[in-house]
Amino acid sequence: MDVSAIRAVGLTKHYGSVCALDALDFAVRTGEVFGFLGPNGAGKSTTIRLLLGLARPTAGQAWIFGTDAADVGTAHRSVAYVPADVALWPGLTGAETLELLGRIGPGVDRAYRDELVERFALDLSKPGRAYSTGNRQKVALVAAFATRAPLLILDEPTSGLDPLMEREFQAVVSQARQRGQTVFLSSHQLAEVEAVCDRVGILRAGRLVEVARVPELRRLHRSQVEVTYRGPAPTLTGVAGIETVEELDPERLRFTLTGPPGPALRALAAADVTGVRIHEPTLEEIFLDYYTRVSR
Amino acid sequence: MTAVAARPGRASADSGTDPDGRAITWLAFRQVRRGGLIVVGLLAGMSATVAASYASTVGDALDAAALAALAENPAIRTLFGAPVALDDPGGFTVWRTGTVLGVLAGVWGLLAATRITRGEEDAGRWDLLAAGRVPLRAIVRRHAVVVVGMLLAAGFVASAALAAVGTAPAGALLHGAGLALVGIFFAAAGVLTGQLLPSRGRATGAAVALLGTGLLLRMVGDGVAALGWLRWLSPFGLVALSQPYAANRVLPVAVLLVAAVALLGAALLVAGRRDVRGGLFGVPAGRPPRLRLLGSVPGFALRRLVGPLGGWALGLVGYYLLIGLLAVSMTSFLAENPRFASLAAQAGFGGLGSVEGYVAALFTLLAIPVGIFAATRIAVVAGDEADRRLTLLYAQPVTRVRLLTAEVAVTAGGGALLCLAAGAATWAGTTIVDAPLGPGAALAGGLNVLPVVLLCLGAAVFALGWLPRTVAPVGALPAAGGFLLQVTADSTGAPAWVGRLSPFAHVAPVPDLPPHWFASLTMVIVAVGLTIFGALGYQRRDLRG
Repeated sequence: MDVSAIRAVGLTKHYGSVCALDALDFAVRTGEVFGFLGPNGAGKSTTIRLLLGLARPTAGQAWIFGTDAADVGTAHRSVAYVPADVALWPGLTGAETLELLGRIGPGVDRAYRDELVERFALDLSKPGRAYSTGNRQKVALVAAFATRAPLLILDEPTSGLDPLMEREFQAVVSQARQRGQTVFLSSHQLAEVEAVCDRVGILRAGRLVEVARVPELRRLHRSQVEVTYRGPAPTLTGVAGIETVEELDPERLRFTLTGPPGPALRALAAADVTGVRIHEPTLEEIFLDYYTRVSR
Repeated sequence: MTAVAARPGRASADSGTDPDGRAITWLAFRQVRRGGLIVVGLLAGMSATVAASYASTVGDALDAAALAALAENPAIRTLFGAPVALDDPGGFTVWRTGTVLGVLAGVWGLLAATRITRGEEDAGRWDLLAAGRVPLRAIVRRHAVVVVGMLLAAGFVASAALAAVGTAPAGALLHGAGLALVGIFFAAAGVLTGQLLPSRGRATGAAVALLGTGLLLRMVGDGVAALGWLRWLSPFGLVALSQPYAANRVLPVAVLLVAAVALLGAALLVAGRRDVRGGLFGVPAGRPPRLRLLGSVPGFALRRLVGPLGGWALGLVGYYLLIGLLAVSMTSFLAENPRFASLAAQAGFGGLGSVEGYVAALFTLLAIPVGIFAATRIAVVAGDEADRRLTLLYAQPVTRVRLLTAEVAVTAGGGALLCLAAGAATWAGTTIVDAPLGPGAALAGGLNVLPVVLLCLGAAVFALGWLPRTVAPVGALPAAGGFLLQVTADSTGAPAWVGRLSPFAHVAPVPDLPPHWFASLTMVIVAVGLTIFGALGYQRRDLRG
């Protein structure tokens, strides 16, 4: 019996001669928060469009709770979706949009919806054309979370939100998990993914290159450490987590550090260190690092 | 250092020769070139074809005197305008194609203008343009100039084509200028409404209303002698007053030129005084929710239909009320001049001698606006898909067939309502002037064109499934294209089978004659087939956006 919230087997999508997705195989377990990572153009949104039946796979198939994803009349009774770039009906106010989606959709918890409107500080009286990007996204988020659908598919849902709302979003996702809802979160905000996801899948050029738990993801992090010192250089060879030691000047060197910093700090303590600067890599650097490493 | 290449402090973008501005002109041109070329081709092609075949159609087959008598019929005058110089190939062409081509140029002008100005701005793409060095007013001006240029080219090529097939150069020039200026007037109106109103739909609606009013004024002015002065208030009337190939009056065309320039000036004035994405008249920032018709897919389709349907109904009711009101002036005219009735019958326009025949001829035309209505409703569905508004709906348990069925059903219902409204309005008009027309006959005449409307709907759904970028033109093809084909075939003596391709060849003049049940049923079957085939394509393909 198939209990996966989402299951994809050999999911492939070609646009003309361009291969957007190449034989994707993965499963999202019921009740987990699954992060879907990848740079722009990796195929994240294409995957979601196939899962929602908005586009047809060239080959392969996907199932939502065991139902063929193409059978949207059945599959979507257990799905709520937030698109990356929300387009609302320009003439409908926020309240009217929520009413429409609530009544056509799989049912809605009105009390919770009112609470979400409050928490996301959403003004529902404005017509769709008057909402900013972030507010359009909030309308879609409220509509999705208020359904209590067993599966939430979120495509970069926080790209237009301010940090306050981003925090609220993470809290809402945690509550959804506590209620047993499954969340499929596509994002390239690594911090957000780390904060809320149980497992992540990493997509690169249409292929799923890794599916890992979040602690394992940390090994992708590489900090750059720059050290100035007097006298003999600290001995760093063989220290756990340290790689690519470069001598920049006399009495200044740089290395990359992966994992816990304890061993590296102990190694540095043996020398006469005058300064340490640790540069946490940006998301982009991690991705570049990861992708260049994989492609080698 | 010998020269300063750029002035960093102040942009020179409005000077007309700078690369930024040229890029915007090029952008505008790219958006209208295809439609513009079609307009150029139709204006020149239809004019030249009708004029060139004048000798074979009118010269031989028809007695010019009979044609002139027929032309005094107010029904014909209302339809095609007052005929002057029918003895001249150019004059005949102006009378037979002038109004149709003027409407075509005007509709294209206003649709193109609102699409590339307000439509692009609505979609947010002008935010990028306006963030550049070119000021908003110059952006609007450059887009307007491109549409105006296209229409000027269309008028010029039409003039050249008419002169080339041997009509008098002065008349050819005046007629081409008139056609171009009608288009330019409504393009300017579209640019202006796009500056005033902050949504493409409303801007287009307002400009279309202006075009409808202009057409009505021309018709009243031509049909009722005492109200002839009304033609000075309408672009179509002004063009008629210029009488190409006869009086060759320049003054009415000059008045039209001034009016068009004034509209453009007003548009540019407003463009400099408003916010990007806003209009001069704003929208309210908030309102209480109106929750009716939001509970189901068909309900929502109906909710979105109600506003546009009201606009279409208003225009058609006004037009057909006038048709009804004019019926009596025509019947009294024919009563006083029985010779004209028999002459008209001889010429094959037999039906026009009676009220039934007169309204039947005009009911046939009803297929064009209602067919275009059906095509635009499905084009709106395609637009909602391309602009990703359907994404949130399709993420619900809503199949594509269910949504499409709802849209097709409410559109077909709306089309039938428009036909009935036109019939009822005609009956009301004839009742006011005591013309003999029963309500049943009037409603039957209206409903008689429904098969052509359904053909348009079917063609539009077919395009939605297989050619989603072309829904509006493909959907309008059976009605608008069929009508143009029939007019051309009728006026050029083309082989009979060419004319038979047009759906209008198979529409009986109801209520003058009984309906062609077999032809109507065939059209409905073709329409249903197109709809099913289109729905299959729509279900199978990827959604855009």
